[in-house]
Amino acid sequence: MRLPISYPMALLAALITLTPVYVLITLASDSSAVFDSHNLTILGNTLSLMGLTVIGSILIGVPLAFISAYVHLPFKKLWLVIFAAPLAIPSYIGAFTLYAAFGSGGEINNLLGFETPAMYGLPGAAIVMTLYTFPFVMMTTRSSLLSLDASMVNAARTLGMSMTQSVFKVILPRVVNGIAAGSLLVALYTLSDFGTPAMMRLDTFTRVIYVEYNAYELGRAAMLSLQLLVIVGFLLLIESQIKTATERHGRALILFPTKWQLGAIFAVFAPILLLAIGLPLIIFFVWLVRDGLSDFDFTIAWNSAYASALAALVAVSVALPVAHAALSGKAGRIMERVTYLGFGIPGIVMGTALVFGGLKLPFLYQTLGLLIIAYMLRFLPLAVGSIRTSTEHLDPSLVKSARVLGASPSEAFKRITLPLTMRGIIAGGALVFLESMRELEATLLLGPTGFETLSTYLWRVYEAGYFGRAAIPGLLLVVISACGLAVMMSGEKRNQFEH
Amino acid sequence: MERRTFIQGLAALGVLGSLPLPLSSALAADIANPVSVDDLPKLKGDLTLYLGRGEGGLYENVLQAIEKRNPDLNLGIRRGPTAALANTIVAEAKAGVKRADLFWAVDSGAIGLVSDSGLAQPIPGDLSAQLQPQFRYKDWAPVTGRIRTIPYNTSRLSKDQIPTSIMEIADSDLSIGWAPAYASFQSFVTAMRILQGDDKTAKWLKKIKKRAKTYAGELGVVMAVERGEVDIGFANHYYTLRLKSGKPDANLDLAFTQNDAGCLVNASGILALNSDPLATNFMRYLLSKEVQSYLAREAYEIPLVNKVEQPEGLPSLSSIKPPKIDLTQLADLKPTINLMRSNGVL
Repeated sequence: MRLPISYPMALLAALITLTPVYVLITLASDSSAVFDSHNLTILGNTLSLMGLTVIGSILIGVPLAFISAYVHLPFKKLWLVIFAAPLAIPSYIGAFTLYAAFGSGGEINNLLGFETPAMYGLPGAAIVMTLYTFPFVMMTTRSSLLSLDASMVNAARTLGMSMTQSVFKVILPRVVNGIAAGSLLVALYTLSDFGTPAMMRLDTFTRVIYVEYNAYELGRAAMLSLQLLVIVGFLLLIESQIKTATERHGRALILFPTKWQLGAIFAVFAPILLLAIGLPLIIFFVWLVRDGLSDFDFTIAWNSAYASALAALVAVSVALPVAHAALSGKAGRIMERVTYLGFGIPGIVMGTALVFGGLKLPFLYQTLGLLIIAYMLRFLPLAVGSIRTSTEHLDPSLVKSARVLGASPSEAFKRITLPLTMRGIIAGGALVFLESMRELEATLLLGPTGFETLSTYLWRVYEAGYFGRAAIPGLLLVVISACGLAVMMSGEKRNQFEH
Repeated sequence: MERRTFIQGLAALGVLGSLPLPLSSALAADIANPVSVDDLPKLKGDLTLYLGRGEGGLYENVLQAIEKRNPDLNLGIRRGPTAALANTIVAEAKAGVKRADLFWAVDSGAIGLVSDSGLAQPIPGDLSAQLQPQFRYKDWAPVTGRIRTIPYNTSRLSKDQIPTSIMEIADSDLSIGWAPAYASFQSFVTAMRILQGDDKTAKWLKKIKKRAKTYAGELGVVMAVERGEVDIGFANHYYTLRLKSGKPDANLDLAFTQNDAGCLVNASGILALNSDPLATNFMRYLLSKEVQSYLAREAYEIPLVNKVEQPEGLPSLSSIKPPKIDLTQLADLKPTINLMRSNGVL
């Protein structure tokens, strides 16, 4: 039997994905201390932050999913976009602006005169993470809700159950898996986020790994990284076990709220959304007005765009054989699964591993190439996923017809498969581009000398305390992330139509 | 460094007008005059500088001015926390990967770390002759001086409510702001270890930690003190002076401890990792009259080159009693980091 041509490339990609883990294990074996009492604090902080964020996201995300799925609202689509909009703000930007806004002497105090409690530590980090991750729960829960058949609820109501009762007894039990899927995304995102705990001064794994890296205790940083990876791996395992409900589609449930109910919905959720989206934008505009355009160097924006574009290009070229291999056989699927590991490796861990790897490979050390490899490893799954979805929907008989008509396999690929998957390829590339633009921690560690990007500049401004200079890079990052969200949501919409 | 020598050094800089004149002039005798950038050789070629950050825009302005003057200089700057860069340089050397030609650090502890590993190039005699005698080292050049201080909120406290001993502050009921990740703070802890021993330092850290709020940098500490988030802070002197220059009515003033690490005099410094004269010539620019007085005037740092004026607003230095510590001893950073880590401070 001949092996599919994509196998060697896919295997190579899978092996490269494994190198960071290999480097970490080598590094960690030098470390004397495996686990001490301080580790316990870090573990406690990390798990508390994760737990609180998941609870917060469920409390906000599930009701919003319910509202956007079932409640009849004017401008329904607009509301959905607004509910998902916090995803367009990188959480470290949220942390930065909320940190600057609250507390005595914060911007709210300066502008409005009254004092607000300061945002920091575990409560601060949990609030920030909740504000920027609840849309994950909202979106997964919403799609579960939409797949339910309304007749069940109607039956329950006819049999005398109140609406509230039927929500808890008939609807929610059937979307538990949707909620769980979203919660897992929230948990994974919280585990790997670096900027928020760092700015909120909470010792989680990511923050302490950065501290240890700066003290050049690489063995300790690697040990902590591996501990974090174990937690991530555990969550990914749970994730693979969750199956979303496959009910037969039925009539959709539509609820018509009274004016009073609409008012109540607005009163509860408007402040949350205002805090998540409105406040950062307001703060940036205040700084923009106060400090003027300052002397923002636009080559920084160009650096970001340039590196991210290269990363997108590389990721797509690697993703094509990986996606092809995944569709060609069992071994290929395993290789594809392995490349997914990169997505689970937090940026700070990837950065630490590659700095050390780079020292062993001087031709890569401190080069743009190494940074792009890091981006590629982290975001390859986005490209693979996007390309795979578009190839899965491809009718295999088209390729077969081409082959019957005498086209060679490579010609069939070039003339049939490639043009039909172009949309997926472009969307995948765009996602990698936009994610690379907002990446902070790996860039901080791996950027070549003199290479400043929007996110590292923002970090430097935060560290130096010159907050006013964050306005332009901050706003640019928000715009870029919003574009990323738009690409992602339009992809989702397409899938919904096709099903 | 002996306290007396330090004060004498400042005297020779024209800081202490109160010292007897013969002493000052005797000290000044073997000191070269500050050099103007106009007399310096033009810089040409590629140079990679590792810049320990923490100073915001002012060091950047100096570097930009040097680049502007020397259009043929291709300067690559890698920015990072001072301690991290020092460790990076050592790790790079071990791996046989050499990237940096120069290392400009905000703290002499980090400088000492690199110097101890034998990577720094010797300083030409005429270059170190521009510095004060007690600021002359064989393989690095101090650029500016900085004093550890206790900024305090004047609307909440008066100066006499602040203990003059750093150890006693741990037993007071004042709320404190600090930035333990900042290199200058870590050097201060190193100084305390040298003066008081590890046990007392560990106890001190533990006690302070209970009442301290952590900030990313010492500008943040000083800002927090000013707005009353905390009563006092631990910070280098210039952050307070800079904040007060922008906001003269700020509720902020400086207090000093006596004869202990709380009043440590530290220096930012530069060293060359490359024997190319381009690297040492670059260092000359930092010791030039223009750069030294710019950093004193704008950054409120203490110039260490002869005949450059002291920044305004710093209290009479005759009232300050810095501890007896040699700056090179501050290189003993690793035990400090371990101590801070094991006490959950980092």
